[in-house]
Amino acid sequence: MSDTILEIRHLSKSFGANAVLRDIDFSVNKGDVICVIGASGSGKSTLLRCINMLETPSGGEILFHGKDITKERVNVPAYRAKVGMVFQSFNLFANMTALQNCMIGMTKVQKKDRKTAEKTARYYLDKVGMSPYIHAKPRQLSGGQKQRVAIARALAMEPEVLLFDEPTSALDPQMVGEVLSVMRNLAQEGLTMIIVTHEMAFARDVSSRVVFMHNGVICEEGPPQELFMNPKKQETKEFLARFLNG
Amino acid sequence: MPKDYLGRILYFLANHWESLLRGAGTTLLIAAVSTLIGCIIGFIVGIIQTIPVNKKDNPFKRFVLFVARGLLVIYVEVFRGTPMMVQAVFIYYGLLYAGIKMTWLFASFLIVSINTGAYMAETVRGGILSIDEGQTEGAKAIGMTHFQTMLYVVLPQALRNILPQIGNNLIINIKDTCVLSVIGVVELFFASKSIAGSYYVYFEPYTITMAMYLIMTVFFSRLLRWMEKRMDGPQSYDLATTDTLAHTSGLYNFPGKGRKK
Repeated sequence: MSDTILEIRHLSKSFGANAVLRDIDFSVNKGDVICVIGASGSGKSTLLRCINMLETPSGGEILFHGKDITKERVNVPAYRAKVGMVFQSFNLFANMTALQNCMIGMTKVQKKDRKTAEKTARYYLDKVGMSPYIHAKPRQLSGGQKQRVAIARALAMEPEVLLFDEPTSALDPQMVGEVLSVMRNLAQEGLTMIIVTHEMAFARDVSSRVVFMHNGVICEEGPPQELFMNPKKQETKEFLARFLNG
Repeated sequence: MPKDYLGRILYFLANHWESLLRGAGTTLLIAAVSTLIGCIIGFIVGIIQTIPVNKKDNPFKRFVLFVARGLLVIYVEVFRGTPMMVQAVFIYYGLLYAGIKMTWLFASFLIVSINTGAYMAETVRGGILSIDEGQTEGAKAIGMTHFQTMLYVVLPQALRNILPQIGNNLIINIKDTCVLSVIGVVELFFASKSIAGSYYVYFEPYTITMAMYLIMTVFFSRLLRWMEKRMDGPQSYDLATTDTLAHTSGLYNFPGKGRKK
C-alpha cells in the first residue's frame, strides 16, 4: 500500500543569507510514522513548519496528493485543515476551555454543527485521557495535560497527516511519558505522522522510517533498526554516539 | 443665601440639583457613547494596521492596505497630537463655515469619539501584538483564516488585556467632556459655571461639581474592574467525572489554588 500523501521535492528555505534547508526530498505514504532526528539547528523544525506553510519555502515543491501547495492562489488554510500540527509550546487557545479548544476548528473551519463537534471533541479528549478536564482552561493544566489536549485538538480535525514539532521538549520526564504513550497508541492505530523528536528510544520503537538531518540536508534515512544499529554516514554515527553516551 | 460653607452647599443642592443632574447626565451620555464608538474605531484601525502583508499577495490588496494605513497614521497623529478643546472649536465652527450645522449632541459624539478612537487605535494594536505568536500559529494550524484567527482567538484575548486601558479612556472622557463647554454643550462643568456665575460664588458650587465627577469616575472604575473579573471566568473548574480519585497531577499548581470560587 503506497498511497502517497505528501511529496517534498528540492525543498529549500533560507532566512536572509542563512540557508536553513537545502534540497530536501522525501515522501510520506499513508500510515507512515516518520521520525526526524538531528542536532538543534539542523533544520528539523523549519522543515515541519514549511510542510504546514507556517514558513514559506524559498524553493522547491510540496505536493499534497500531487498538488503543489507552495504555488500562488492555493487555499492554504484549507490545506492546513487536513494537515494537523502539534507544537512544542502547545499553543492552546488561552481564552477557551479544553473542550472549546477542540471544537473551534470543527465548528468554524469545517462548519460542523455544535452537537457533532462536541461529540467528536469529547471522543478525542477521552482518547488522550483528558475527559475529566474538558472544562479546564489551559492555564489550569499541567504541561503534559496541555500537550494531550493539543493532540486531541489536532486529531479532532481528523487530519490526513499529523505533524509533531518536538512535542515533549518542554515537559518534565514524567509528563514526557504520558504524551509519548498517547503518541504510541496513535502510531499503532495507523495514523500518518511526522515527528520531530529528541526521544531516540521512542523514535526507534515507533517509527516506520527515521530521517536524520544535519546542517539543513537529509543526511541519512532508513528503517529505524538500520539507522540506529548500523548507521552508514559518519555524521549519523557521531550524533547517535553523543546520545548513547549521554 | 446662607453665609456658611455647608449652608451654601445645601442651598445650591436644593435649588439647582436639577440642572446639575442634567449636566451630569449629559456628561455621562457623551462619555459612554463616545467611548463605545471610539473603541469600535480603535478596533477597526488596530485590525487594519496588523493585517499581515507578504510579497505573494496581489498588488491591488497591497496598494489599498498601503494607502489605508497611511491615512490612518495621519488620523492617529493629528487627533492625538492636538488638544481636544481646540479640535472641538475647529471642527464645530469649521463645519459651520461649510454650511453644516451639527446639533450639539452630535458634535460632542463626533469629537470625543474620533479622539478616543485615535488613542484606542494604538492601544488595540498593542493589545494584538501582546498576544503570543503561538496563539496565531495554533489557530492557523487547524486551518483558520487570518480573519477567523483574529475573531475567535486573538481579539478576545486582546480585548481582555486592554480592558484596563478602555476603563482609563472612559474615565478620561467623563472628565474631558468639560472642554466641550467651549462649543456650548451644557454638561456638568457648564452647568456649574452658570450657577457659580449667576451668584458670584465659586467655591461651593465647584465643591459639588468635584464630588459629582468623583462619584461618576469611581463608579465606572469599579464597574470595569468587575467586568475584568467576569471575563476571566471562574478560578477553578469542575472535573467532568464522578470519580473522586480523579484529582491527580496538574491540579496542585494551577493559579487559583486555595482561593474561593
